Amino acid sequence: MSEIADVPMLTAEIPDALAPLREEILAELVLLSQIPSPTGEEIRRVEHILNRFVEAGVPEAGQDEKGNAAGFLPGRVGDRTIMLVAHLDTIVPSNIDHNVEVTADRLIGPGISDNATGATVISMLPNCLDHLGLKFDSNISLLGTVNSLDRSHDSGLRFHLENMVHPVDAGICIEGVQLGRLNYFSIGTLRGRIDCDVRLEGNYQSRSYGSQSAVAVLNHIMNRILAIEVPQRPFTHISINRVRAGVSYDVEPDHAELGFEVNSHDDARIDRIETQIQEIVAEVAARNAVDAKLDSFFRRRAGGIGFSHPLVKSTIEVMEALGISPDQGHSPSELSEFIARGIPAVTLGITTGEKNRKKPDHVNIEPILRGVAQIVGVLLAIDRGITEEPA
Amino acid sequence: MTPEQWLQDRTYHHSNFWNLRWLVEEKQRQGLTISLCLPTLNEAKTVGKEIILLKSELYDRYPLIDEIAVIDSGSTDGTREIAASFGADVYLAEDCLPELGNRRGKGENLWKALYLLKGDIIVYVDSDINNIHPRFVYGLIGPLIKEPEVQYVKAFYDRPLAFSQGIRPTGGGRVTEILVRPLFSLFYPELTPIIQPLSGEYAGRRSILEQIPFPVGYGVETAMLIDIYEKHGLAAFAQTDLDTRVHRNQETVALGRMAFGILRAFFNRLTARERAQFPYELADIMRQPKVDQGKFEQAEYKIEEFERPPMVEIAAYLEKFHQSVQAESE
Repeated sequence: MSEIADVPMLTAEIPDALAPLREEILAELVLLSQIPSPTGEEIRRVEHILNRFVEAGVPEAGQDEKGNAAGFLPGRVGDRTIMLVAHLDTIVPSNIDHNVEVTADRLIGPGISDNATGATVISMLPNCLDHLGLKFDSNISLLGTVNSLDRSHDSGLRFHLENMVHPVDAGICIEGVQLGRLNYFSIGTLRGRIDCDVRLEGNYQSRSYGSQSAVAVLNHIMNRILAIEVPQRPFTHISINRVRAGVSYDVEPDHAELGFEVNSHDDARIDRIETQIQEIVAEVAARNAVDAKLDSFFRRRAGGIGFSHPLVKSTIEVMEALGISPDQGHSPSELSEFIARGIPAVTLGITTGEKNRKKPDHVNIEPILRGVAQIVGVLLAIDRGITEEPA
Repeated sequence: MTPEQWLQDRTYHHSNFWNLRWLVEEKQRQGLTISLCLPTLNEAKTVGKEIILLKSELYDRYPLIDEIAVIDSGSTDGTREIAASFGADVYLAEDCLPELGNRRGKGENLWKALYLLKGDIIVYVDSDINNIHPRFVYGLIGPLIKEPEVQYVKAFYDRPLAFSQGIRPTGGGRVTEILVRPLFSLFYPELTPIIQPLSGEYAGRRSILEQIPFPVGYGVETAMLIDIYEKHGLAAFAQTDLDTRVHRNQETVALGRMAFGILRAFFNRLTARERAQFPYELADIMRQPKVDQGKFEQAEYKIEEFERPPMVEIAAYLEKFHQSVQAESE
């Protein structure tokens, strides 16, 4: 493919140019999806991707100290580095059947949209760029990250960003769905867990007189948290998403736990809510003779680049050239790790599909090449410097 | 080669052939072409994945196979359309050699594959495998490339779900252990080390496959083993462990019909070789009792086990593949 100045025009040609790789991309998606990869057990996906990097002739490929799959394509000039990231872990336990079903128009399997599809793009990108005959002035750093979900909160990516030899100038976070997703700012987030334990006394470890069931006490805490007033602007929301307690119908539980998340565009507001929750927990614990404690284990600061940032504008141009309607919003993905370090970055989706909790996910086949082309288009835009803010 | 020697020397694991680059180079050095045949009948749920994975890994990335073909018995669930959309060559079995009539059955498709496909080696893989992986193909091709003496490679699947240590049994499915292995033990004891004689995945050289008849139904796998054994001996065989195979489980009554077809093909061979004789023609009706709202009945299934002759006896085939030989003989 000849190198021309007009990135959107060039991008529009990419889906057709990638058509000969369609089956290879789909096969890679099937193979990666079928490798179980719950958080902390991503090693087989990492090895698979590294093997692909070696097969594709990626000059530097290996695991970093945290176990991320890293590939590095040196640029012709090499004065800048663009990082592409997809998390390799899923919420699907290893003992679930990971077989993928392929129909005429979709691929169905657990975790296929979140995020085997993103991992596939990382794995296949060297082949795609080679097939397209594209050379870049910038270095391209490909990263399949481990330990991104649940309480790991992106520790794999954080480690890599903090220890990279080549400083990163721009980032692209890749998620399986939805095509059109364009995230360039992250909402502030606090995740916490409240543990409530009834105090036990004496040799027989019985409850102290007057103490309630841990569930009843946790319920007081929950009601108080939900009564916290939150403003509509800046957008702020408290959600209680996980409650765990009890062993049997006829036994009052001694332990109960609750998981919550607070989101806001205003970090100070989140801090205030955290203090309020802390006070609620302390007060309810004292009143009900239980031990209760708050563990705020995850915090993400609000921030990002503006709509007027050239990276956002050129990404939108690339999307429009491919007939993709941008859907802008905040992102809970790895984006915030870039933002926290002042690195302009976007999160993009590859195809349409569904993430499900109780049945396997699916992704649609037809949009995938456009989704990949979009990544290549944004890479081209960043490489040619048209995403940089004027000095 | 004794059966014990054979079991030691000719039993492989797919991991013996993980080096696809070497397999491709060696295949090219030997000047071989390889065709993959997927016989289908209403396999829309699994055929797409098989084609995507096998084509991507063994045709596009590592050109070990030269063509991928689906030979279909008249699916009505979109199997052919899905297969074509992912890049396989798709044939309707009844359109091939129509002058010879049409028979329904997997064996018919396997037989017609010899005419439709061009490879020196034909790999047959069932199209109902949920956990398809390239090993299902390269594990079968490997022994044929490694050992020129090997003519035919059979798959088996041996990965215990839970086992500590020591001796453990290994073997085939219900029909193998209850029917085929006892029959082999009685009449073809040298074939008993073949761990899964009924597995649906195997690869053979055209030069021997064209020489043997093909039962069109359930008996095709058993017949192939017997016929190749009688022509070339045990040394012509190898077998490869492909680990786990996940597929639809069949009901016992369906396996009963399968056993009936196998017995027919087996007895055909015993009587033809005058190793057994029956004073009457064997029935082609399988009867199985069933109960419908308290009423007991017998269901009847016609299982005829028609056999196609060796492909090398078909004029159109000779014209396509042995024109030079024909011309010389004229």
